[in-house]
Amino acid sequence: MRKYHLVRRADARLKRTLIYYAIGILVSLIIGAIILVALGINPLDYYGRMFTIGLVGNRYGYKSIEGLLKIFVPLLITSLALSLSFKMRFWNIGGEGEFLIGAIAASIVAFNSTGMPNFVTVLLMCLAAMISSGIIGIAVAALKVKFNTNETLMTLMINYIMLYVIRYIGETKADWNFFLRDDSERPKFGTFPDSAVMAGIPIGQFKLLWSVLIALALTAIVFVYLKYTKQGYEISVVGDSSATAKYAGMSVGKIVLRTMFISSAMIGLAAALAVSSAGTISDTITNNVGWTGIIVAWLSKLSVPAVFVTSVLISILQYGCQAAATQYPAIDSNYADLLQGIILFSVLVADFAANFKIVRKEDAKNA
Amino acid sequence: MKKLISMVVAAALAVTSVFALAGCSSANGGNGGGSKASFKVGAIYINSQNDTSGYTYAHHKGVTEGMKKVGLDPAKDLFIVDNVPEDDEKVKQAIDQLAGNGCNIIFGISFGYINAFEEKAKEYPDIIFSHATGYLSNDKNFNNYFGRIYQARYLAGIAAGYKSLALGNNNIGYVSAWGTEYAETCSGINAFAMGCMAVNPDAKVSVYEISTWGDQQLERQAAETLIDTYGCCVIAQHCDSSQPQIVANEKGVFGCGYNSDMTTEAPAAHLTAPIWNWDVYYATAMKAAMEDPANFMTKVGIYYEGLNAGLVDISPLSSNCEPETKEAVELAKNLMKNGEWDVFSGVKLSFSGSAGSVAVEKTNAALVTNDGAEIVAAGGPSVEDGVITGSMNYYVEGVTQVN
Amino acid sequence: MEYAIELKGITKSFGPVAANKNINLSLAKGEILALLGENGSGKTTLMNMLSGIYMPDSGSIFIDGKKVEINSPEDSGKLGIGMVHQHFKLVERFTALENIRIGIRNEGRFLHGADVRKKIEDTAAKFGFDIDLDKVVANMAVSEKQTLEILKVLCYGAKIIILDEPTAVLTVQEIERLFAVLRKMKEEGHSIIIITHKLNEVMAISDRVAVLRHGEYIDTVVTKETNEKTLTELMVGRKIELNIERPVMDKTHPLLEIRDLTVKNDEGAIAVDHINFYIRGGEMLGVAGIAGSGQKELCEAIAGLRKIEEGQMIHEGESIVGMSPKKILEHGISMSFIPEDRLGMGLAPSMSITDNMILKNYNESKGIFVDRKTARIEAQKVIDRLEVVTPSTETPVRRLSGGNVQKVLLGREIKSGPNVLITAYPVRGLDINSSYTIYNILNEQKKKGVGILFVGEDLDVMLALCDKIMVICHGRLQGVVNSDHTTKEDIGLMMTGTVNIVNKEGKTDGIAKDSAITDEEGKA
Repeated sequence: MRKYHLVRRADARLKRTLIYYAIGILVSLIIGAIILVALGINPLDYYGRMFTIGLVGNRYGYKSIEGLLKIFVPLLITSLALSLSFKMRFWNIGGEGEFLIGAIAASIVAFNSTGMPNFVTVLLMCLAAMISSGIIGIAVAALKVKFNTNETLMTLMINYIMLYVIRYIGETKADWNFFLRDDSERPKFGTFPDSAVMAGIPIGQFKLLWSVLIALALTAIVFVYLKYTKQGYEISVVGDSSATAKYAGMSVGKIVLRTMFISSAMIGLAAALAVSSAGTISDTITNNVGWTGIIVAWLSKLSVPAVFVTSVLISILQYGCQAAATQYPAIDSNYADLLQGIILFSVLVADFAANFKIVRKEDAKNA
Repeated sequence: MKKLISMVVAAALAVTSVFALAGCSSANGGNGGGSKASFKVGAIYINSQNDTSGYTYAHHKGVTEGMKKVGLDPAKDLFIVDNVPEDDEKVKQAIDQLAGNGCNIIFGISFGYINAFEEKAKEYPDIIFSHATGYLSNDKNFNNYFGRIYQARYLAGIAAGYKSLALGNNNIGYVSAWGTEYAETCSGINAFAMGCMAVNPDAKVSVYEISTWGDQQLERQAAETLIDTYGCCVIAQHCDSSQPQIVANEKGVFGCGYNSDMTTEAPAAHLTAPIWNWDVYYATAMKAAMEDPANFMTKVGIYYEGLNAGLVDISPLSSNCEPETKEAVELAKNLMKNGEWDVFSGVKLSFSGSAGSVAVEKTNAALVTNDGAEIVAAGGPSVEDGVITGSMNYYVEGVTQVN
Repeated sequence: MEYAIELKGITKSFGPVAANKNINLSLAKGEILALLGENGSGKTTLMNMLSGIYMPDSGSIFIDGKKVEINSPEDSGKLGIGMVHQHFKLVERFTALENIRIGIRNEGRFLHGADVRKKIEDTAAKFGFDIDLDKVVANMAVSEKQTLEILKVLCYGAKIIILDEPTAVLTVQEIERLFAVLRKMKEEGHSIIIITHKLNEVMAISDRVAVLRHGEYIDTVVTKETNEKTLTELMVGRKIELNIERPVMDKTHPLLEIRDLTVKNDEGAIAVDHINFYIRGGEMLGVAGIAGSGQKELCEAIAGLRKIEEGQMIHEGESIVGMSPKKILEHGISMSFIPEDRLGMGLAPSMSITDNMILKNYNESKGIFVDRKTARIEAQKVIDRLEVVTPSTETPVRRLSGGNVQKVLLGREIKSGPNVLITAYPVRGLDINSSYTIYNILNEQKKKGVGILFVGEDLDVMLALCDKIMVICHGRLQGVVNSDHTTKEDIGLMMTGTVNIVNKEGKTDGIAKDSAITDEEGKA
């Protein structure tokens, strides 16, 4: 006999949702604290360091901010790009693969750019990355439009294909392979010439990379694009009901192709900015943004301002977890991952709780 | 709704920036310098410090024991960034973290950290950077360190050689992460084979390459293939887990482990294992960095030691070993410790006699690869260290790769 | 009197919406109870609680006098309740026999061979079903599928059978046959609940009628002691005018002429087969036919959404064949199609009324931005004129009730001032009041001289509303009849293909070609 059942709440109020989120995070922090206490660590101390991303007592605090921004920028742009395609109900889960394509294309430019002006090189890197990622996006969209293939599978496979491509590049010592360090006997990715390294605006010791400003501008552009432009309107209609879009005389295929190009090209841009900021490439350059971006997009319900906020918070969480773990020899990154996982899970549960409630079935009062 | 969101953002940014300022000011104020009380050690690991075996485990053990030797407290003075992949950007961030926490010396244990260490050594001239298995250094604050593990492998080879003689089976197997691609694995295989052949001149070493540093499934399969298909009676290994030894135990053959004494995992099979005593290096490096960081490169420099310093050794011989093994190993070990002889030279050792009267004999013989190329002429000197650590890419006579 | 089912104080809410409020209902053994109510009055919800799909928030259910708890369809089946849903739950690729066999319980998992077939055949014979057990469901007509569904629940031993709007998809003749089966079942001692909102059927088949209104139980009356008018009043709560207005206009020249139109469906089969007709200004032409007879394909072809295989479509003397949907819209032909789920086509459910208003002309404004300012004004106009009940112009369409959704859709379609309005199932799923609003909107357009093609389901409504009715069967024209000179039965016979009044030249009575345009001109 089931005594309880779930009922969807009629009104999804933001205030309640935020309160539930707060409760969820609190519960996860308490679970984390129990583990910390078991390891003999003061949880308040630990969390203090975590949420200040290890800045307290840090000799090079500005570097921590730079490091945080380097995590934040690709995550933000990728999440925006994924939101764009999700809004169209195009399940692009190939963020990782598209990112790697962009990273490889940008690196090809970068490794061959010795002596070119910095601005030109970085611009070329961005273009190369956007075009190559965009083409893959279009290819997947075309298969979907033309043959109704399953985009989830196609984009998923791209992730693995590209992961193996970059591993091949990274592990193959050969004359053609300009990606690798010349002087190393073992295969090892080289470092970009200075011409390909992202410049920035120095603020004291801190260097505000151009990529941060680009990401902020892009956020504003995507916001306006989705909300106010005709193309954004088309994306909403196609996502809401592609049959309706067709009835309205929209060319659904064209819209899908265009949007997937923009989405993938944005991920390519994120990759170009990331490799340029890092000054190198590696098979872990994505930092899993293709996956994390999916979480960000969904937690944000595909709203651009929410994507921005969520990206900030998740970046702080990621960076903070690692920074705090560094200061305790007993804590390894597995604990940091565990804590991140518990927090994200709690937030998802809180989101569920904010939208549904459990109702006790009242026994009938025999009339 | 929008208001709420913007408030959250504003609050988050405000908190972050306040702490950022606090962080900067305290950084300017409290730079303690290199006195012993505030000496801090940073370490970047490829896996987790909480591992219970394997490469990172061995280094972490070395770091903590080394710290205790020089009077540091690993619970307070050690800062670790773990699970750092060979990705320059992530290594650089890890270094920034450790530098920010005031570490005076930073160790990086994986080869792929090399670019980041090179770059960051320039950026932080006050911090000593020490990188394992690499080949780069500078003359101020960046060295690399490694050990003559091939010497220990030669000794393990002696144990294996006696076993094969006793069993009358010349086939010896070797599960290796990589083959000739990496000088580290290649020199290890060669030294082991030469150890085997010093005892049993007819011994043949079959190498199975699994193309990854660690994969328990593959390690297992490789050992099974070597035993079942190639009829090997001893299984040596250069990979992370003890699976090859466990397989040898299951199938009733013998084996030489790596990194730790694997007799517990394979009680009926294990002979001995080449092991690292990383604390020897870590204590040396930390001591030098604490006492006289300015002269670190002259005092420690590029560190490449072997049996003589105790950095490498073999685990205690198990009861599975043949009775002659102990004496032969001692003889060879002494020759190498005293610097009278080394593995990759134009002189070969051969052992004769039964237990209690084992004798070693040196004969001049060229070092020849398995396709007949002469590397060192008969009686010639040992190959250079740079070859052993960097460019050795051939197998010696008697070695074949089976896959 | 012993009851097969008794419901006491059943309440069920979805969020803040109470679908059922304190409902008391009883079904006697061996009776046919009609459950009557407008759309959204909670009939299906109530029955879904009997079949174990939903669970009541409060209240109790008694079967054969015993209090029971129904937590799943399985529980429901064990209690001898069988429900035939509006949307059939059959495996398309299986045969009738296999469909029945997969659900048989308590007699071993895999039943093969003769005994199962024998058992099914016996049951079919007992109730007078005419069914081919080896036919694959995908090849069955709608009525066959329904027969199979009923046979299925009988084979599973159901004593109480619930039928959710079983007649909606049937022709008049098929309805008669269904009713015969139901009477047979009643004789065998089965108890039946039939959900419907067609009063004539209620009168024809039921013993008693239970009426729900807005989720509340109103009353149960004995069918013999009541009449359609009383039932209507019970159902809608006040006396209403049953007559649908049909203004008679001076008809103009033909606005849209269709000649020999042939169109294929998504599967590549011929859906519309050489159809000829025209619509004049100030005229409403009804299209009658069993569901899936090519109505959708016809509408889509005219709107330019579907490629035509053959034939001509001439609008005000100009061929519109091959024009883009947008061009056709600009030409003055507007099409709205209400699909079964009511939101799938024509509207973007999650978007606001404003955004839906500009769906077809968002591209007309200058620049890259959507002109929402004008759209908002237009949305307000539609809301005011058609009395759409909504908190604001920015409310997502999905939040509106069915009638208001359809008002928004029609409002958009007439906003562009078309002279040909094609509307398919505009009152699908609407209650009587909302339906009348829609009829009024259409009549207003007609008075303005717009030619209307009305694809409908309910023959009574079409006879009352349309000037002429075109009947199609399997995509073929069966004839065009004048509403004043025909009966429902005649149309029913044409719908099933029994009667065809099209003459050999492909012309029908009451249909003429527009002599102003020759075939040659039309092809251009």
